[in-house]
Amino acid sequence: MASECGEAAAIDPRVVPLADIDLGDERFRITTQRESGDLQASIRRFGLRTPPLVTPVGAGFIIVNGFRRVSACREMGWKSTPARVLPTASAYECALTAVAENSLERPLNLIETSRALNLLEQTAPEGRIPDADASALGLPTHPSVAVRLKLLCRMPVDVQDGVLDGTISFAMACELSRLEEDLGIAFASLFRRLKPSLNKQREIVSLVSEIAGRENVDPRQVLEECGLTQVIGSPGTDRNQQIHGIRRQLRLRRFPSLAAAEHNFFVLRQRLKLGAALQLAPPRDFEGTGFTLALSFQTIEEVVHLRAKLDELIDHPDFKTLLTGKGRGFEKALDS
Amino acid sequence: MKIAELYVDAQLAGRPEAEAASRRFKVPIQTVGSAQEVYASVAAAKDPIGRGKHVLYLTRNRGAFIKSCPGTHHYTCCGYKILHIGTFCSMDCSYCILQSYFHPPVLQYFLNHDEMDQELEQLFATRAIHRLGTGEFTDSLIWEPWTHLSERLIRKFAGQDGCVLELKTKTAWVDSLLDLPHRRRTILAWSLNTDEVIRTDERGTTSLDARLKAAARGADHGYPLAFHFDPIVIADGCEADYRRTVERLFAAVDPRHIVWISLGALRFMPELKTVIRQRFKHSRIVYGEFIGGLDGKMRYFKPLRMRAYRDIAAAIRAVAPGICIYLCMEDDEVWEHALGFQPAQRGGLSRMLDEAAVRQCHLSSGR
Ligand code: SF4
Repeated sequence: MASECGEAAAIDPRVVPLADIDLGDERFRITTQRESGDLQASIRRFGLRTPPLVTPVGAGFIIVNGFRRVSACREMGWKSTPARVLPTASAYECALTAVAENSLERPLNLIETSRALNLLEQTAPEGRIPDADASALGLPTHPSVAVRLKLLCRMPVDVQDGVLDGTISFAMACELSRLEEDLGIAFASLFRRLKPSLNKQREIVSLVSEIAGRENVDPRQVLEECGLTQVIGSPGTDRNQQIHGIRRQLRLRRFPSLAAAEHNFFVLRQRLKLGAALQLAPPRDFEGTGFTLALSFQTIEEVVHLRAKLDELIDHPDFKTLLTGKGRGFEKALDS
Repeated sequence: MKIAELYVDAQLAGRPEAEAASRRFKVPIQTVGSAQEVYASVAAAKDPIGRGKHVLYLTRNRGAFIKSCPGTHHYTCCGYKILHIGTFCSMDCSYCILQSYFHPPVLQYFLNHDEMDQELEQLFATRAIHRLGTGEFTDSLIWEPWTHLSERLIRKFAGQDGCVLELKTKTAWVDSLLDLPHRRRTILAWSLNTDEVIRTDERGTTSLDARLKAAARGADHGYPLAFHFDPIVIADGCEADYRRTVERLFAAVDPRHIVWISLGALRFMPELKTVIRQRFKHSRIVYGEFIGGLDGKMRYFKPLRMRAYRDIAAAIRAVAPGICIYLCMEDDEVWEHALGFQPAQRGGLSRMLDEAAVRQCHLSSGR
């Protein structure tokens, strides 16, 4: 099929009235760019170097490649345009040409790759893209990757935009695709606004879904109650602070006892007034039994000072409470 | 047990057990040269775990029949020995570790009982106290309706004085065991849980009442009993539910028949979480307050475990103050908070359980 298309590419250069080109028919559109302002300047200065590629449909033409060029020409008030006409080609040949020309012009982004895969699959004679064609076009051939990629261009625009501007990774987009559409959009909007790292995005999605499961409520309700929807609509505040606040809120609700114990531990530790040179850490998640005390110093004098501090610590009632109250999440300790 | 496919190891073709299984489950025997053929058939299914519960593979145990329970040094292990009679289970509990333990899981039943007998004889010959159980890689009694394995084991254990066999189950299939001459060398044991957990997370198991009724019948026939509150699922209001379970236990069974009661909070390898979410859409057990334990398993936040254990232990002790209660895979800190002592203060957990077995099952060691 690939070679046939190559041979069949008997392209007929013509001048075509712009009114005859149906700009609304986007069946072969691969590009994600919509703006054509930069192109207009280039066309004015250097002319239309590569005319758009069109194919006849009914009495007019549809675009195979060059959507932005046709738009630019129209916006500049042209009545007709030089065009390359692909005569009576099959839908699959047109699709192959559209993908080939786009990927020759620039590396395809993820959404364009997704569109290319969908377009080829929908038009391929047996509904399956031959591996030879996919690899000649630089498209992924691994079935599981291709399946996930194909989903991308069917996702809500907000998610696609997040993928395009780099705030939402492919992996996260796949996760969002498993959610109900409006929930996916809500997360996408939040991530586009706050730009958290992938790990933090994952943490937020998983915490929301687990809180919903734990409390048997709708995840949208969790978003609302934990203030995530308000963040989406409130510009200005410090992003990192907001991310931190959201994660704290969610963790508090997902792990209420653990979060309370952590809080109690920090309060008790603060009361000890250890200073920067003496650091006391609890066992991870309070599971083990060993606490860690780290000392930092540079001089003998500092060590002497630390020794005195350690003596004070040993006699401090809150220190004992810290060491013995772990099993109860320090709850009683704070009451006293 | 509903079997859709029955495979038999080519080396065991023609064994009467295979014919019996074929007749019972009304499926033809498929002879296979290797386990891989069975695994391939199970792995190809949409839900291999669910499928594995309907595929029976009769084969030989190529490893040891008697294994030590794989404890970890962070948590106290009970020094139990596993008698490896087969793998997997026809019931379907959301939290069952066997779902991710075997790849893919399949119902395997071992037929080389002569070798099992030899290993048991060697163990009996040590004349030391040993506790063995068949309910680690499978449920002890699911095989009961079509094999005579329990009868064979009960008779075998009855013929010696140092070892006790624990048959742990969530079924009520005790009928065929009741009149056997067990000499108290076999403990009939049940996992107990709240009605809610049984309903939502123990598909295909018997109700709490049925388990307790079966236990009471076992006690009537002189069998020593054991109960395992494992896994304890911690959720809002669970303490009251577990207290009710304890009440129902003692309403059905006189504590004097009980050798031990274990408590173990739900714990699982992280991989199991995905399996549970996929296979048990309505289960909420993965949404507990879990942290990463020192053994790599997900465990409830320690104070929550302590509180649950303390509460259930108090309910048990209120009725049966002298009963042997132990914690499954917990550290000294938890023991102290929950039960008020550490195993080392009573000679270690193994010793505690050995002594309970000696008392209740009238064991004696030759050493
Ligand atoms: S009864 Fe035991 S072995 Fe069977 S599925 Fe449940 S947990 Fe697993």
